[in-house]
Amino acid sequence: MNRRKLITLGTAALIACQFGASALAEQGTFKVGSLNPITGAGSPYGSGMLKASQMAVAEVNAAGGAGGANFELLPEDSQTSPQAAVLAAKKLIEVQKVKAIIGTWSSGVSLAVIPITNDANVLLLHTSGAPALSVAPANAKKLGFRFQATNDRFGRAFAEIAKREKFKRPATMAFNNASGIGNTEGFRKSWTASGGTVVANVVYEPNRPSYRSELQEVLRGKPDVIVTGSYLADTTIILREWYQSGQPARWIIPGWAANSDLLKALGPDVTEGIISVESISAENSPSYKSFADRFAKQTKMAAQDNVYAAMTYDQVMVLALAVQAVGPTASADVLAKKVHEIGTPGGTIVNSFAEGKKLLAAGKRVTYNGASSALNFDEFNDVTPDFAASFVEKGKLVRKYVVKL
Amino acid sequence: MTLADFINLALNGLVEGLLIALPALAVTLVHGLARFPNAATGDVVAAGGFGGYLSFNATGSLLLAGLGGALVGAIVSLASYYLAFKAVMRRSVITLLLTSIGVGFFIRAVMGLSFGHELKMFSLPLTRSLNFDGIMLNPTDATLAGIILAVLAAVFAMLYVAPVGRMMRALADDPDLGRVSGIRNDRVMLIMWSVTGAVCGIAGTVLGMRTVLSPEMGWAMLLPAFAAAVIGGLGNPVGAVAGALLLGVVQELSTPVVGFVYKIALAYVVMLLVLLVRPQGLFNRPQGVR
Repeated sequence: MNRRKLITLGTAALIACQFGASALAEQGTFKVGSLNPITGAGSPYGSGMLKASQMAVAEVNAAGGAGGANFELLPEDSQTSPQAAVLAAKKLIEVQKVKAIIGTWSSGVSLAVIPITNDANVLLLHTSGAPALSVAPANAKKLGFRFQATNDRFGRAFAEIAKREKFKRPATMAFNNASGIGNTEGFRKSWTASGGTVVANVVYEPNRPSYRSELQEVLRGKPDVIVTGSYLADTTIILREWYQSGQPARWIIPGWAANSDLLKALGPDVTEGIISVESISAENSPSYKSFADRFAKQTKMAAQDNVYAAMTYDQVMVLALAVQAVGPTASADVLAKKVHEIGTPGGTIVNSFAEGKKLLAAGKRVTYNGASSALNFDEFNDVTPDFAASFVEKGKLVRKYVVKL
Repeated sequence: MTLADFINLALNGLVEGLLIALPALAVTLVHGLARFPNAATGDVVAAGGFGGYLSFNATGSLLLAGLGGALVGAIVSLASYYLAFKAVMRRSVITLLLTSIGVGFFIRAVMGLSFGHELKMFSLPLTRSLNFDGIMLNPTDATLAGIILAVLAAVFAMLYVAPVGRMMRALADDPDLGRVSGIRNDRVMLIMWSVTGAVCGIAGTVLGMRTVLSPEMGWAMLLPAFAAAVIGGLGNPVGAVAGALLLGVVQELSTPVVGFVYKIALAYVVMLLVLLVRPQGLFNRPQGVR
């Protein structure tokens, strides 16, 4: 061996050593990108979601990490804007090398981010409702997991409630986007499947100074209830104009629009009798109780006011259990299959990471019973949470019953 | 569809048109004198809306709310002229347009920082519509329409009766001739920017009363306001108002045919058709004749 060869080999060995060392360091942490709506339309939820995931990561690391790796959370703000979310997702994937992104809120954001996570073989665990997120192309690789009910399931819950309240002539009004139309289409399908008819369907463009022509069209069918897929701003204007029209009707409105802000804005006269439908956390499950207690203590916020916080908490939990089972360096495909398995019935039920870690280490199959819902992923990795029907009585939302689909 | 339904649609269109008329008037006044399309108009409208909201909450009076909105609109408008536009006034239209987009972003950001992004509403009592054989008339809308018409009347009186209006029109017609005739450009600009700001402020207050307040509210109405001003002939105040009313009514009357999603696109089809027949807009004379 001559000197030159020795130097080359030595250098190569040195470089290899360093690579080995960095690979070892990589194995020590499992990086998760947290892409929450800290600002923008989702800002009422975003910081609570971030805190819930930080709580979950602390819980995982306190239990000694998952599969020998500590979880590291890298937070970014999606600004509830697809453009900002795409930039942040690219940074998380390309610069910070995360293995999964959690906490995307609103369908527009998740639909924009999922092609990027798919390309990079990164898991996306989100809280968005658009039906398009279930199927190809968005979820062609099955790397996307949904922790919120689909808009289609919202629609089915609306139909259940309309039946229970003995409405006969429903009409629908939807904001022209994937989420709004998803809600009312889900309702229409479910309602007509059981033999009912819908007297009018109106889809409208957002940001109008008035929706009176749209209302005129809906009210012409003399509906006894109007089912909406709308947001807060347009719902406020629509309800005010409806009240001014003087024609009687009841309303079934998704909870993100029929909330305390709406009641404050419109007052008790207009809002009396509105039915607000929101997916709810698994409020009777032990994992929810433990989560809600800690969340309230650490953040001074009530977990019940932010269903998305429990969802993001669960996202970290299933991810950690899956990493515990397959190891931090497993491929996205293997990891996703394990996440699906841990979120489906069939294993020993566990309510916390520490509990699951013990069983997984003993080679058992576990099923995580979530705080946001029992998860029970279907073939599209969608969950089916419970829904609460709340009625507005004298300017207050009063929860009347829970609908299970 | 009955006749009453069509009349209702036309009435809705008139109200929507009136809501656009004030910003369209502001766009056209700025264009007439400063000679650029001011993309910050919508944001001055929103700022005026917040001004109206604050003074309404402080006093509980609709009149003072309108005055507060007008005052805030005028201040924001003057500030944007003296701090941003004045320095680039002699540059190309593109420079001014881009400056105005930047000014708009700045105003929106300041509003977002100071008021937050959650929606705000005027706590006004709700009234039931009066029903005339199927034709619905809402007293609140009638009041708001009355306010808008009064503002329009005041602006037109200033433009066509008061001496300062004559100066403004002279400068708009021919800036050089105006200047050599001894019209003080600075003073006219000061008046023009405060008037357009006040008009925007009242528009924002009325729009806020009719809908909801948010820092982004002005952005949605900017394009219709531009379209209305273009249809009427840029720089022509009567044209801007007529264009706004035409757009509003055509848009609503088209809904039985094209539905609610495409009615907005249809408004722009109307704009294209008008421009094909009269490129100078409905109310402007062709340039050559002047």
